[in-house]
Amino acid sequence: MSETQTMATARIAAAAAPAPGTGPGLVKRLRVTTWLPPLIAFAVAGVLWQLVAITNPYVIPTLDAIGASLVSDAGMYASNLLVTAQEVVIGAAAGILGGFLLAVVMAEFQIVERAVMPLVVMVMVTPIVAIAPALVVAFGFGMMPKYIVTGLVVFFPMLVNSLAGLRDVDGRALDVMTTLHASRWEIFRHLRLPGSMPYFFAGLRIALPLAIVGAAVAEFVAAGQQAGLGSLVTVSAAQANLPVTWASIALLCVMGVVLVAALAIVRKRVLWWSDGEIVAR
Amino acid sequence: MTGGVDIAGVTKAFGPDGRRTTVLDDVSLTIGRGEFVSVIGPSGCGKSTLLKVVAGLIPADSGSVTIDGESVRTATRDKLIGLVPQSPALLPWKTVLENVRLPMRVNAKANAGRSLRDPAELLSSFGLGQALNKYPSQLSGGMQQRAAIARAFVFDPGVLLMDEPFSALDEMNRDQQRLGLLEFWQSNRKSVLFVTHSVPEAIMLSDRIVVMAAHPGRIAEVIDVDLPRPRSVEAYATDAFRDLEGHVRDTLHSVMEETHV
Repeated sequence: MSETQTMATARIAAAAAPAPGTGPGLVKRLRVTTWLPPLIAFAVAGVLWQLVAITNPYVIPTLDAIGASLVSDAGMYASNLLVTAQEVVIGAAAGILGGFLLAVVMAEFQIVERAVMPLVVMVMVTPIVAIAPALVVAFGFGMMPKYIVTGLVVFFPMLVNSLAGLRDVDGRALDVMTTLHASRWEIFRHLRLPGSMPYFFAGLRIALPLAIVGAAVAEFVAAGQQAGLGSLVTVSAAQANLPVTWASIALLCVMGVVLVAALAIVRKRVLWWSDGEIVAR
Repeated sequence: MTGGVDIAGVTKAFGPDGRRTTVLDDVSLTIGRGEFVSVIGPSGCGKSTLLKVVAGLIPADSGSVTIDGESVRTATRDKLIGLVPQSPALLPWKTVLENVRLPMRVNAKANAGRSLRDPAELLSSFGLGQALNKYPSQLSGGMQQRAAIARAFVFDPGVLLMDEPFSALDEMNRDQQRLGLLEFWQSNRKSVLFVTHSVPEAIMLSDRIVVMAAHPGRIAEVIDVDLPRPRSVEAYATDAFRDLEGHVRDTLHSVMEETHV
């Protein structure tokens, strides 16, 4: 049997066997005790919101006003959502890739870590809200400053977590590889890279919501442009057009929920072998 | 050309200058080709350190180790050493078969001219034929450790180093794994350096038992195990086994008293 055939058979067999960690799944999720309590909490929050909105119409809009705005201006929201989504996707991809690649280089060459880490930390402790206007001046009102701000906020958690993951190797498995005289590349490929994935996903878990923050902040600064949900929030708030403000906030929130939910699904597929979720730093 | 492992005057100390603890003090030991040697002793006697020096995982301060006449460095480059660590250390994202195949894929240029085993066949002979495509987390501790042993045998190294491979298992399971290893090794003779805490385990498996003393770690006595081979579970019940057990225990006791005084 060829190698690929064997591998394919292995995968089919693995799929047939109940993969650990994906046990009761759907049945458990459908249990009343699972979905009812949060539903009640949401309902209570909604009712309270509505009460406040009706008695104080200049503080927050009613839920039905937000809904009506979303429906009547659906096209406008969709185009702004697409702009923000594009910033998040491209910015986050760049930040993830950059953070991970630098982590790989740092894990393999400690001298690089010693050289570059202080600089990275310096950039990262600088408030992103302060950097954003400077970037707009430098790169104009186009998409570039938004990609950079989004990428920057994603970069750091990805770097730190990936680095921790690449370093956290099973010492005994490493001993086995060392007695086999495995090359650095072989140790990276078979041990460090797959072993770092729980940390990588822990990094994503905090980086992806941050990406939305980054995109929104960048849009605030370049608000005159009127593109993206963040711009929509600032502009409509300035005009006291509260339903639009809150509809935009709601869409930003939905975006975050979708990202985190998608991540959880991918994580479960990729990291079925990992017993516990690593808590992100 | 002696073959096997030759440890000559190995000394190793840890700790900062001035407060160094000698973990191995002038340890010399020869393991013949196809000989099974156990190392037993109180904790802190440096038996695991000795194994790591032989495996090339930590350097000795002085003295030398040769494997089949080569330096440890050359021996690892030629893949002459199979290591079974204290925990199975299987990669959880690879199937059992992929885990056992890994030593053949790694440093593949050293594979030339050796009789590599078929991983699936080898796993079957370890009673893991049904578990080839399972993942380590789906296996019991004993099965995982057997897979780890198969991983050390699969690329046909001349020397096997086993660091308390059964210490994490309960006694019943442990005995079963031990007898499984005995049976396999008796038909696949390799030089083995086997670190253990268990006296019956050392007697059952070994040709010779090295009793080590602690502070500093050194060889106190080498006891020949002259039980006939092939051995099986019946050997436990023989007078010769009991006599040896008494002898090894006495030696261990005197070694430990000496340490405490």
